[in-house]
Amino acid sequence: MATKGVLGNDPFQRGAAERPTESQSSKKEKASGGKAAAKKKARPDKASSKTGKTVELPAAQKAKTRKTPSAETAQTTQVPAIQIAKTLRDQKAATVSTKAAKGRKPAPSSASPEDAAHRLREPGAPGTPRRRPPARVPVAGGSPDATLPRTPREQEVDRVLATAAAAEATEAAAEAAAQAAVETMLAFQAQQAGIAAAPPGSLEEAWHRELAAAVVAEAAEAAAEAVLDAALSAGTSGSPQAASMEERTTIGSPFLEDEEPPSSSPSEVTVIDRAYTGSDDEHEGVDADSAEVKPEEELPDEARDEYPPERATPISVVPPLPSDRDLPREPFFTDQAQGQPDPAAPRSAGMFSLAKEIALQALAGASMGKALGTAQGLVGVVSAGLGISGSTSLDEYGRDSELVSELQPLLDFLYERYWRVSVQGADQIPSGGAILVANHSGALPYDGPVASLAIMRERPDLREPRWLVEDQVFHAPVLGTLFNRLGAVRACPENALRLLDEQRPVLVFPEGYQGLSKPFAQRYQLKRFGRGGFVKLALRTGAPIIPVAIVGSEETSPLLGRIPASFLGVPYLPLTSPLPLPARWTLRFGDPIGMEELGPDAADDLAEVQRLTERTREAIMGMLQALLRERRSVFAG
Amino acid sequence: MDATQAGKRGLRVAVTGASGDFGRLLLPLLEKDPAVESVLVLDVARPEGDKVEYHRVDLTRHDAESELTEALSERPVDAFYHLAFLFGRVRNGSLAHELEVMGTLNVLAAVGRARIPRLVVPSLTAVYGARGQHPALLREETPLLGCPHSRFVSDKVQVEGQVRAFRERHPDTRVLVLRFAPILGPTVNNPATRMLKRPVVPTLMGFDPLWQAVHEEDAARALHRVLTTEASGEFNIVGQGVLPLSGLVRQAGGQPLPLPGPLFRAALHALGAVGAGGLPVALLDYIHYSWVADGERAETALGFIPIHHARDAAAALRRS
Repeated sequence: MATKGVLGNDPFQRGAAERPTESQSSKKEKASGGKAAAKKKARPDKASSKTGKTVELPAAQKAKTRKTPSAETAQTTQVPAIQIAKTLRDQKAATVSTKAAKGRKPAPSSASPEDAAHRLREPGAPGTPRRRPPARVPVAGGSPDATLPRTPREQEVDRVLATAAAAEATEAAAEAAAQAAVETMLAFQAQQAGIAAAPPGSLEEAWHRELAAAVVAEAAEAAAEAVLDAALSAGTSGSPQAASMEERTTIGSPFLEDEEPPSSSPSEVTVIDRAYTGSDDEHEGVDADSAEVKPEEELPDEARDEYPPERATPISVVPPLPSDRDLPREPFFTDQAQGQPDPAAPRSAGMFSLAKEIALQALAGASMGKALGTAQGLVGVVSAGLGISGSTSLDEYGRDSELVSELQPLLDFLYERYWRVSVQGADQIPSGGAILVANHSGALPYDGPVASLAIMRERPDLREPRWLVEDQVFHAPVLGTLFNRLGAVRACPENALRLLDEQRPVLVFPEGYQGLSKPFAQRYQLKRFGRGGFVKLALRTGAPIIPVAIVGSEETSPLLGRIPASFLGVPYLPLTSPLPLPARWTLRFGDPIGMEELGPDAADDLAEVQRLTERTREAIMGMLQALLRERRSVFAG
Repeated sequence: MDATQAGKRGLRVAVTGASGDFGRLLLPLLEKDPAVESVLVLDVARPEGDKVEYHRVDLTRHDAESELTEALSERPVDAFYHLAFLFGRVRNGSLAHELEVMGTLNVLAAVGRARIPRLVVPSLTAVYGARGQHPALLREETPLLGCPHSRFVSDKVQVEGQVRAFRERHPDTRVLVLRFAPILGPTVNNPATRMLKRPVVPTLMGFDPLWQAVHEEDAARALHRVLTTEASGEFNIVGQGVLPLSGLVRQAGGQPLPLPGPLFRAALHALGAVGAGGLPVALLDYIHYSWVADGERAETALGFIPIHHARDAAAALRRS
């Protein structure tokens, strides 16, 4: 279906190896869409073709446009449409409210994920398209009012009020139906896209679903809003013909569309854009903010979906041509509208059952469940950070196994898709207690959780690792609590000894606080290695020291500056990107630092401790430099 | 000289503070214990019980030591439980200080003079203090940093210091100090239960320290158990598991209300000035940093294994 093409544009897929052939593939995928898909696309294509006049259209979309018959008609009828628009100002006045509703929903539901994808790709875009609906309304409303004394605004208001009761009745039904329709559409799309994307990997499929599901939640909300408008307008001028006609006029009037920025230019994305893509997707997964922005983009699609329920016809059946047919009838339109104030009311029962069915299907979908799980995990994170979680599944170090398992989908996403962590030499880690010594970097200590996640994934045979963090992190209000819940343990000899006693791999960052506070310019340059506490620990316990080099965390949260914040109990607040950037991560585990010949007594030999500390530091430095040399791109690849 | 020799004739036990929380937990167990012959209650009020021999002693009086010595010489005992500590709402802080610190001095002097083979003194895990630099689990050797501005905790720290000094001077007396995690249960009344019984418990925003709790039944069992144990020294008596403060509050049926630190302090100061403060400002540490004691030593040396999880203890609070 059309969904294939839509999700084919998904940034994650693009982020993968197929990037160079992306535009071709998307073209192909779009072309391969069925007739129904083409029909569905018709409307958005019209819109995009219009934008194409002012702005260069991406190749893929052009191809698509030509494919769809209705799009052709749109192109051919553009000039006539403008004339019609002029002649029909009278009717416009009558349909002002419809237009207002309509303005939000020119694009079909099939395009919604696509739009989302585009948005994700271009961080700059979000602002303008969002403003589209309000901008249009004044234009549409203003010209008719000026030219038309017959139907002043007051009259219209009266009409709206008169039909408000009927509209209210339909409102709920329409809302539910539209919401459900969006959900199913997206769920289906997600599944199909997943199937289509199966060759790249089942993981991608999973992610597609997740993305779609995340979109669903927001889209549904937006749909509800838009349907409300639609229901109200349906009261005044709710006939489908009017709506389609109305749409026609919008299509015909390019000046209206000028306000719409070219939100879609998939083939022009650069490598850097991709980096942003990732981060925005991260928004998707992690933050509600971006999701909030998105619904506006979704609106169009929802409107499309809302169409069918009004007519009580299957979702996919949206005849693109009636508008042409209706053109001559326009003069009668207002009468019709007055004649049938509430077309949706009698069908509300049917729509309800349909909505219920659809909603159940959507809920049953794995994607939905996954998205809900992630959302739940995020809520858990927030409440744990604020200190209101009330969790009862903590171990004595403070790790919350419940929270971690709730977060697993998100962590998996970050690990596999966002940071694309690659691990080398994980088999170097011996079983039993081991001290893993790593470089510390980045303004925020993401390296601890990532490294422990890597060990857990690569070496499931080992006991669950813990990482030690400096006091300062624990003094920070939310961060300290959160890290503690995720498995961080305060760095002190007692804790380390206990963890080693439990035969766990213990991850230490001897640079400590200094490693975090070095500016971005000094990235990956090791600071001093403290007083060699980890060496003494190793000598006393006999646990091996494994050097670990971590590349990627500096770019994930570059330290751009420091804001003094002693009043919060921390020396400074790092000025860094609020969300982690999608740098590629590489972890390399080195050969154990040999010290078989040394006994526990050597722990008191300062010179020996110093020597071993330096050896470890050099080993890490060497691996770091090798990794940096091998790294071709910070974000790509 | 020990409990072993008393096996033939039954144990004689002396108890101070028998009407306090600890006393009310322990006495029923002593009553039921067939090995216990008699319970000498040295207190200002006489509790119920068949085995109770009552001798009125006011520990806050200056002549308390001679009273104690007299009572102990009349009826020699095998074990002495010094349980006269205040956990309820204290109106008169200096009187409480007299009772706890000076009273303990009197008790220790009398116990030393009477050469009593076993002394049991309860304490709190709060004596370790809640500090950011503490390890995840506090063992018994951890220095007692306490909570400098809180009389409640500082007094216990002082008592522990006295007891430690006593132990060094009297090696033939087996001294056991039981450091209890907050004791929760339907019948006890201490700062922790008062805090957790509220419908809304203010907490520090962004912090959710780990707490422990010991069910009152477990606490009573621990107190009873040390009557015959061979070990001596300090022991952390904790319940199973740890809970974040918010979890404890939720389990107790309340709702945590996270407040930003500065606002919290201001509110506490204001309440304290009015005299309505429930939680003293000084105890802020304990809702800021974790204070989890390691109960391993009590398990290995005393054989004390808690039955109740911390969440059960908190839930018991809700039912009461």
